Amino acid sequence: MRDIDRALLLLVAPPALVLTALPARSVEYLSTEQAQRALFADASRFEPVPITLSEADRAALAKVSGTRTPLPLDRIWRAMRDDQLLGHLIVDEVYGKHEFITYAAAIDANGAVLGIEIMDYRETHGGQVREAGWREQFRGKRSGDALELDEDIVNISGATMSCKHVTEGVRRLLALYDIALKGR
Amino acid sequence: MLRRARPLLGTFVEVAVSAKTREMEWQAAIAAFEAVAQVHRLMSFHEPDSDVTRINRCAHTRPVEVDARTYAVLGRARLLSRESSGVFDCSVGDRLMALGVLPRVAGLRADRAATWRDVTLLPGNQVRFRRRLTLDLGGIAKGFAVDQAIETLAQRGATAACVNAGGDLRVFGDCDWPIALRRPDAPGEFVSLPPLRNRALATTADTFAPHGAIVHPASGQPLRSPRSVSVLAPTCMDADALTKVVWLEEHLPVSLLEKMDAHAIVLGPAPALSESAAAHCAAG
Repeated sequence: MRDIDRALLLLVAPPALVLTALPARSVEYLSTEQAQRALFADASRFEPVPITLSEADRAALAKVSGTRTPLPLDRIWRAMRDDQLLGHLIVDEVYGKHEFITYAAAIDANGAVLGIEIMDYRETHGGQVREAGWREQFRGKRSGDALELDEDIVNISGATMSCKHVTEGVRRLLALYDIALKGR
Repeated sequence: MLRRARPLLGTFVEVAVSAKTREMEWQAAIAAFEAVAQVHRLMSFHEPDSDVTRINRCAHTRPVEVDARTYAVLGRARLLSRESSGVFDCSVGDRLMALGVLPRVAGLRADRAATWRDVTLLPGNQVRFRRRLTLDLGGIAKGFAVDQAIETLAQRGATAACVNAGGDLRVFGDCDWPIALRRPDAPGEFVSLPPLRNRALATTADTFAPHGAIVHPASGQPLRSPRSVSVLAPTCMDADALTKVVWLEEHLPVSLLEKMDAHAIVLGPAPALSESAAAHCAAG
């Protein structure tokens, strides 16, 4: 038993936990402006690109991806350096069984993905969401703020959350690019 | 402090960094993400040009030169395999493919008798297989990617940093980082741990893997468990790999953990380490 004590910190049955149980998780990473800067550091300005889609376009996009969130038609920008088009930036949202994610995707002038930044990440686990207390730690904080480490956002270790919903979302954005943004 | 997250390594990689100036933080974070992306390109199981794919295709016929980073991970994997008497074994790629844990890669075959001992490391970063096998570094490369990101941040002048790749994390700097573990029985809830300083923490659990993700090299079968196994170690590569050993071992590998300056944390129904693991072994 003494051997085990040396290497094992704790071995506990969850109902008997004496440690603090924290509710669901939420992190805000970047504002839209910060995401623009993170993905197009060389851009001098971002121009909104208004697009409208026909019913046929929408049907085609629905076929490409199972992503069910509304299309981000009012969150598309052209990244410009002076008069040169660097690419497009789109802010989109996806959700899975457990997570709700806002992300920004950068697509270069040739239609290839330049990069993806997570802007906002929220986990929801069915009826277990008790966000009030958990969200307290983020109140009023943006990612640029200086934080006291001992009051900082808790870092989570645990089973891996897959990023497949973001991958599916990006697939839809690339299809949207082909239909409505290419050459604009 | 700057916090950013990108989808990499099939999960979300989060970088938190403090430096003297905001510009240094941005530049350090960019370099850290690039370091992680490079590890992905080198060690991915299904990228057609990765080192892992190249050795899986050719190393049974001739020595294959790999990147120094891949070679370093293979060397550490070999040491951990030896120290764990083969419980940690990266040669189970074929069984992970058969179970659907890894995507099928056409043209890969494996000798069922092959083990980690058939991976030979030759001078000049060259790798040769004695038997044909399918190597998967999924049990160790994520931790290595975190280590590479932390080293990159330190080189770029970070005063404090945390890199978290889907739950495998490492912290750096003269400060305490608040840490919590996801509960395996209630994945939306978390358990606070004592704060972490200049150390790594990795966790293995089945929570989001419907068919089990950790295969026992002896049985070739996944060992399911309602537990989560976390390991604290000096590097995230060791922590990542040691979670698999603790997960699969019938008894806590105390001397191995001590040798690696590591500690294990097991969350789940007690007694978790001997009886239930043994029952799963028998069932598998």
